[in-house]
Amino acid sequence: MKKKILSLFLAASMALSLAACGSPADSVEADAAEKEAATEESAGEGVEETAEAAEESTEESAEDTAMETVYPVTLTDQAGREVTIEEEPAKLVSGYYISTSLLIALGLEDKLAGIEAKADTRPIYALSAPELLELPSVGSAKEFDLEGCAALEPDLVILPLKLQASADTLEELGIDALVVNPENQELLGEAAELIGTATNTAARAKELLAFTEEQEERLTKALEGAETPSVYLAGNSDFLSTAGSAMYQSAMIEMAGGANAAAEITDTYWAEVSYEQILAWNPQYIVLASDASYTVEDVLADPNLEGCAAVENGNVIQIPGDAEAWDSPVPGGILGAVWLSSELHPEECPQADSEAVIHEFYETFYGFSYGEN
Amino acid sequence: MNSTKHFTAFPMGKTKMLCAAGAALLAALAAFSLFTGKYPLTFEGMLRGDAMQLRVFWTLRAGRTAVGVLGGFALGVAGYVYQTVFRNPLASPDVIGVSSGASAGAAAGILFLSGAAAVTFSAFAGALAAVCLALALSALDRTGRNSTIVLAGIAVHSLAQTVLMCLKLTADPERELASIEYWIMGSLNGISGYSIGGNLLLCLFCLAALFLLRRQILLLSAEEGEARMLGVPVGRMRLLILLAATLAVACVVSLSGLISFVGLLAPHGARLLLKRDSAGTMLLGGLLGGVLLTGADILARSAAATELPVSIFTSLLGAPFLIYLIIRGRQRA
Repeated sequence: MKKKILSLFLAASMALSLAACGSPADSVEADAAEKEAATEESAGEGVEETAEAAEESTEESAEDTAMETVYPVTLTDQAGREVTIEEEPAKLVSGYYISTSLLIALGLEDKLAGIEAKADTRPIYALSAPELLELPSVGSAKEFDLEGCAALEPDLVILPLKLQASADTLEELGIDALVVNPENQELLGEAAELIGTATNTAARAKELLAFTEEQEERLTKALEGAETPSVYLAGNSDFLSTAGSAMYQSAMIEMAGGANAAAEITDTYWAEVSYEQILAWNPQYIVLASDASYTVEDVLADPNLEGCAAVENGNVIQIPGDAEAWDSPVPGGILGAVWLSSELHPEECPQADSEAVIHEFYETFYGFSYGEN
Repeated sequence: MNSTKHFTAFPMGKTKMLCAAGAALLAALAAFSLFTGKYPLTFEGMLRGDAMQLRVFWTLRAGRTAVGVLGGFALGVAGYVYQTVFRNPLASPDVIGVSSGASAGAAAGILFLSGAAAVTFSAFAGALAAVCLALALSALDRTGRNSTIVLAGIAVHSLAQTVLMCLKLTADPERELASIEYWIMGSLNGISGYSIGGNLLLCLFCLAALFLLRRQILLLSAEEGEARMLGVPVGRMRLLILLAATLAVACVVSLSGLISFVGLLAPHGARLLLKRDSAGTMLLGGLLGGVLLTGADILARSAAATELPVSIFTSLLGAPFLIYLIIRGRQRA
């Protein structure tokens, strides 16, 4: 097994060096290889989980104790690094917005001593934990501030895969660092379990994942046998960039009972298409990414899209970004599918139901009332 | 080989023949380009008056093809002008910073303005600012040497690169940085008939001016003293010619983003084919540029399910062609 992981990583690093030649598709291959490696590792964890499930029949309190982390704990992070945490961390630093959001959902915002740059562009911080905006910034994935981070003397630092090198340097400085890679719901789930175990909040992490699972089941059941209108998802940077079938956003469309118009594209990164291509697909709905740099009105007024079914019928909508971008693998990512299901299928998934779910999620995990700000 | 002697004995005939062949090839590619793309267009449908097909044809295909043909032509001609005026086979409009100026302008447009038209305008303004700055700096040196323009251009180029780097640093990596990178990669995708009129008109105007000045361009390639004796006001004429060539390029790159290799390769191809410098070489350089860019764009839109950057194909098609011409030239010599 170890050899297998090693060879996977060799393949991944080769793919990464190929990616230096510039094609986004290559780097994605590397991601896929890493993902495989990660799945291999979690296979081992699975055994423990079944053992846990067997215990579930006993009392609830017993289960809670089973979820308590016993320190020191050795974890394998999403970069395949082994990290040993001696005692429950009291001071945390997060260098990535998804892990910061995850820490809030786990109720750890008070333990945070530093977060990533540009926190003011994430409305969820202001809504849920405005004190985070006052924290010192440790930089971004482009420019991570190693010394500034070390100066905060954190017990545990959580970094995205892009900053793996910085994580290794922090370990050398004697600061524990976990690397997470929440590229999709599955990997986000793993990241949540990992951070939950590291910070002794595994029970809360489990609740968070159960919420997503429950909604997935509800949508699958409600939309059984429903028609699947075609949806073109227009990307953040450009109307002509879209998400192919291998991307997170495509899974969101399918979960909401739609068919991705760009399903034939297999790139795992935003792909560039032409107006002609969109007209040839003739999608029934055009959905704009929540951070799009253009508006629904721009799309409706675009003369190049005249005659496209979605534009003719006024079915151009934007994913709300009032709290966070639901079209990215944030802890509340499932809400993107919940919201879209009501837009595509108002009969099967009434809007009131979706709003209730969205309210429940933010009340439970982020402690604020959605839509009242 | 016998044919070489034969051709050098009748250079005019060869120039005309090659230009006619180049024009025919360009026309054929343009026609092919009009009927290649993701939306299924049919002759019957368009004759029937299918509104959707006609709209795709006129706003998308025609605009894209026009930019491919005219843009490639302009890059080829401008490359020829630069190589001739600077008497340097590696010169191109990039030397005086037009591309980096356009990139910095486009980046600023992506960050601070919104809409494709605003980005085009901003890129054009950036290119123009870079060129004016380079030419103004070079005018400070009264001796009017060629090397002064090149040095000023290099300074402006680095300055524009620095501005671009600063803009990239402030850009949001998910949205704006990606847009800037895509823009720099260059593509004719997203060009529509609604937004290109002004650029194409100005580009045509500059190209016409260059062809009217074709004799002066050739005179500038001679030794400076000689040109002056022949009655050419060297300094001013050079500024005018460079300005026209650079404006033509700015019109194209502000629409398409950077396109590599066409400006360098097309004039060399023409020169290697004709083995002489004349107005015919300039025309053939333009035609080769048009063929290269239109051909590359056809591949860029049909090689994969997604749109690819056009520069991949201009280099991929152009490099082997250039190597072939060089080897052929060796063997003949």
